[in-house]
Amino acid sequence: MSGALMPGSILFEFPELFLKALGYTIQLSLIGSGGALLIGTVIALFRVSPIPPLRWIGVAFVEFFRNTPLLVQIFFLWLGLGALGFRYFTTDTFETIFRAATLGMALYHGAYVAEVIRGGLIGIERGQIEAARSLGLSFIQTLRYVQLPQTFRATVPPLGNIGIALIKNTSLASTIGVADLLQAAEVVESRTFRTEEAFGVVVLLYLVLTIPAGLGVNWLEKRMLIAR
Amino acid sequence: MRRILGKVIALGAAMAVLAAACGGGAQPQASASAAATATAATKPKFELATYMYSIQTKGKIRVGTREDNVPFGLKNPTTGKYEGFDIDIVREFTKAIFGKDADADPDKFIEFVPVVSATRIPTLNDNKADIVAATFTINDERLKQIDFSTVYFRTGQKILVKKTTTNINAVADLNGKTVCTAKGSTSEQNITKQAKDAKLLLLDTYPPCLLALQQGQADAVSTDETILFGLVKQDPTTKIVGGYFSDEPYGIGVNKGREGFVPFLNSVIAAMVADGRWAAIYKKYITPVSGDVKDGPHDKGRPAS
Repeated sequence: MSGALMPGSILFEFPELFLKALGYTIQLSLIGSGGALLIGTVIALFRVSPIPPLRWIGVAFVEFFRNTPLLVQIFFLWLGLGALGFRYFTTDTFETIFRAATLGMALYHGAYVAEVIRGGLIGIERGQIEAARSLGLSFIQTLRYVQLPQTFRATVPPLGNIGIALIKNTSLASTIGVADLLQAAEVVESRTFRTEEAFGVVVLLYLVLTIPAGLGVNWLEKRMLIAR
Repeated sequence: MRRILGKVIALGAAMAVLAAACGGGAQPQASASAAATATAATKPKFELATYMYSIQTKGKIRVGTREDNVPFGLKNPTTGKYEGFDIDIVREFTKAIFGKDADADPDKFIEFVPVVSATRIPTLNDNKADIVAATFTINDERLKQIDFSTVYFRTGQKILVKKTTTNINAVADLNGKTVCTAKGSTSEQNITKQAKDAKLLLLDTYPPCLLALQQGQADAVSTDETILFGLVKQDPTTKIVGGYFSDEPYGIGVNKGREGFVPFLNSVIAAMVADGRWAAIYKKYITPVSGDVKDGPHDKGRPAS
């Protein structure tokens, strides 16, 4: 009854649990999206590279990680690789699980990032690249100074979308035992039977993460427009 | 629509029988009463107001049970027959209601209604089944919605470890260890209460817990012993250790307001325990996985000889 009068009060009944969970979700989101951007960029460069084997690797990566469920991927990254004895260079089970989940976030969303960035790269006028090369810039220099800066500017909105999707998808990490926001909701629910409140609080906490992320993307988009 | 049609036909048939019995003169009346005495000899007699009488009259008992819960309730995929501890208990109830007619093949008098954990109470409340026998733990929350028979099977939470593990023998030993269990379960809360410093690995189901145990990523798995039985069967290099540290009494679920039904079920359960039928069912289904024998729903088992 107290919950109906004061929604969100359950947050203050289990403050430590929810705050720790929020911490895990933020860490997963930050490291995961950083990793996704890095992996995605590298794979995109593979896909536009003049060397065929690199292009094949790029295609295989994107098709594999984009076409299989993230849930299956993180289970494989934890227990599948675990069966081969791989523990992500740590002896602590919970650290192993966290690293497996983070890697899953980075790989899965990296595939989407790769496609967005590849789109940006091939969207650049051919004349620019030819001009850069005739000015004496190497292939790498052309990428670094001509193609990539323009690509990142043009792809801020779709990359922002992927980032926000990643924040929400971190909830899948709870299925392999990461004590994130979703798991906190489930634990509190089973202790109190106050389902609506427990999940309501977690919805609010996800919004606390995703709404500022969306605003940040909008701001970045505008700033990039000015720079252009 | 079809169901309504069926009811209309059944009603029509019943009225025809009634008309024949009432309006047929002296001779048919005599034969009807003769038939009544013939069935009375094979069927137990119940008071008219009781629910057992109404089940007997309808000719079938509708039983809510699980189809995938070894060793309690299982629909054998090859034979299509139901088997398990709960099922055999239900067959005894059926015999007690329908008498000698049901002795050879009680399933003729049973209509099985498949249930899962979450549908057990609605199945009773919506009158889709007369009883639910599906590893149904009796608790206060549920007693507000339905009635339960007395305890016909008692289990509790135990600990599963690798056979090579020697330092975990009781719930207190779980402190400082990584323990895998399902989230949203009472198992998780029981560990939190009794081994405060256990590190809980919370997953959705038990098979990944078993994998984590096999890989050494979890030191123990803990939940109801009946679930652990299934895991041991999957992986014989594991073992169940320690005593029960929670109480899970299973009862037969019945909708509220069934006149005389719960006392009747209780008397059948008591009779089964007293005459050894309960022990035989335990030996048939539980002993192969637990390795012990019991003669009633208490927690004092002894090793099977």
